[in-house]
Amino acid sequence: MEVLFRDFQTACQEGSGHLLAATISPIAPPSYLNRLDAIYKDSDVASISQDVARGLTKSAHAAIQYPNPQIDTWTEIYTAYWYAIGGIIAAEQPTSRPEWLRVYMAWKDLANTIIKHYSSGVLEAWTLPVLYMAGKHLRIFAIKADEAAAASGGSDTFNTGEIQEDIAGDFDKNQKLEDAARVINRMFTLCISDRAPLEESRKWGLYYTANLQFKTYFKLNSPSLCKNVIRALGAGRTDMPDLDAFPRSHIVTWKYYVGVLRFLEEDYAGAEESLTSAWHMCHHSATHNIELILTYLIPTCLLTRQLLPSPRLLSPYPRLAEIFTPLVDAIRSGSLSTFDAALADGEAEFVKRRIYLTLERGRDMCLRNLLRKVYLATGMDEEGKRRTRIRVAEFGAAIRLGERGVEGENLENDEVECMVANMICKNLIKGYISRAHGMVVLSKNGAFPGTGI
Amino acid sequence: MSGATDGSGPTTKATASDSTDSSILKDQQKPAAALEEDDEFEDFPVDDWAPEDSEVPPGSEGGTTHLWEESWDDDDTSEDFSKQLKDELAKVKGQK
Repeated sequence: MEVLFRDFQTACQEGSGHLLAATISPIAPPSYLNRLDAIYKDSDVASISQDVARGLTKSAHAAIQYPNPQIDTWTEIYTAYWYAIGGIIAAEQPTSRPEWLRVYMAWKDLANTIIKHYSSGVLEAWTLPVLYMAGKHLRIFAIKADEAAAASGGSDTFNTGEIQEDIAGDFDKNQKLEDAARVINRMFTLCISDRAPLEESRKWGLYYTANLQFKTYFKLNSPSLCKNVIRALGAGRTDMPDLDAFPRSHIVTWKYYVGVLRFLEEDYAGAEESLTSAWHMCHHSATHNIELILTYLIPTCLLTRQLLPSPRLLSPYPRLAEIFTPLVDAIRSGSLSTFDAALADGEAEFVKRRIYLTLERGRDMCLRNLLRKVYLATGMDEEGKRRTRIRVAEFGAAIRLGERGVEGENLENDEVECMVANMICKNLIKGYISRAHGMVVLSKNGAFPGTGI
Repeated sequence: MSGATDGSGPTTKATASDSTDSSILKDQQKPAAALEEDDEFEDFPVDDWAPEDSEVPPGSEGGTTHLWEESWDDDDTSEDFSKQLKDELAKVKGQK
């Protein structure tokens, strides 16, 4: 257990919150893979509390005063930590059935102990990474506990018939994660309610704990709960530091989640702003996170700017290239049938990522490109100007070909007019339909806005 | 969150195993198990970094324009589809 006290002293002397947080990590560092075992084996249930108190006192600075609230606090924290690692070591034994519920409960004790000592003011703002460490792993252990419960479900619970069991199973599916969400919410409250001057305020923990809430609510499939968090940190608050003043990891994660939320609310301009800055600021080697940001930024830019990702943008991310390239190619070439097929092929993935409905709107652009081709193909009039009157039947033939192929059934003129009217309404085409003549009369200037003709 | 501890040790898999999030997966026939492991925004291995370590460092935002392309393409005259389209349009004209 000596290692624990030695690391604690080093962290306190250097005033490093991250070193301090590392002392309660549930994961052993690569440099000392036996750390958890070594700490756990060095004590037992009967004497852990005295062992920690004695160890902390012995290694503390000679001039320290007794009784010391720091030592009492950390005795409680490390005792709770000791119980938690007992569970972790047991759960990671390959032979036994992992008891993640036990780990979760023990870790929750640790988290609550830590929260208590922030509330009482013993733990200062510089130790905030300790709170982060507790919150981050609380969420992870809750997910593991829920998964373990789901995996063993049925055998442990009473059986009252299949249908009821299904309902109950669904209901309790995220029981521990919901429980963790409440603890994490207390962590956030702890930060937002701190009235100390900014330089020593827990307000510096706001975005980290807010991000933990976001992750938890997304995992619980209740992203709408994030709105309360955003509202709490809303613009116009004068009593907290500017977002720019926070570490980049906090900012990027925050902007990603805010961007995705705006995306889900169909506020695409807002989504573009948040996701673009998340993309720009993201660490260049965090490819997985960049990939996630682009997963939402690409459909967003499709709608807001009518821009498609270039092969160069996609090439570092094979999965993005795989799901987006067929759609992008279809849109660009105006091939409706290829677009529909690409959308159907990727449906499972698109729905899972919640981008299906947004991508579906790309069909308008595909149709625009098809009609644009008709316009380009109809040639010039006697004065060398592009013919701006195009028969509805010509557009109809193109749509039939694009949608149904050479052998496809003809479309009714009404259907075609409806599609063209929609395009005009969405400002993808400028012009009007002359029903009497069965003509679409296109604007002489910029018939297809933003496309150079 | 300490950089050294992330990404090592047996418990790190916890963030990655997202196998119960099926309610957003409407397509029940395809569990898409391989994809679910990765859909969570990961913790960064470091808390903060220099501006120049960002994906698009401040001041070089203009360099991203070549990563996006216009949504239409005029350079496709040799494409099969364009040829078919011209044939079809010719037929319609013939019916006039």
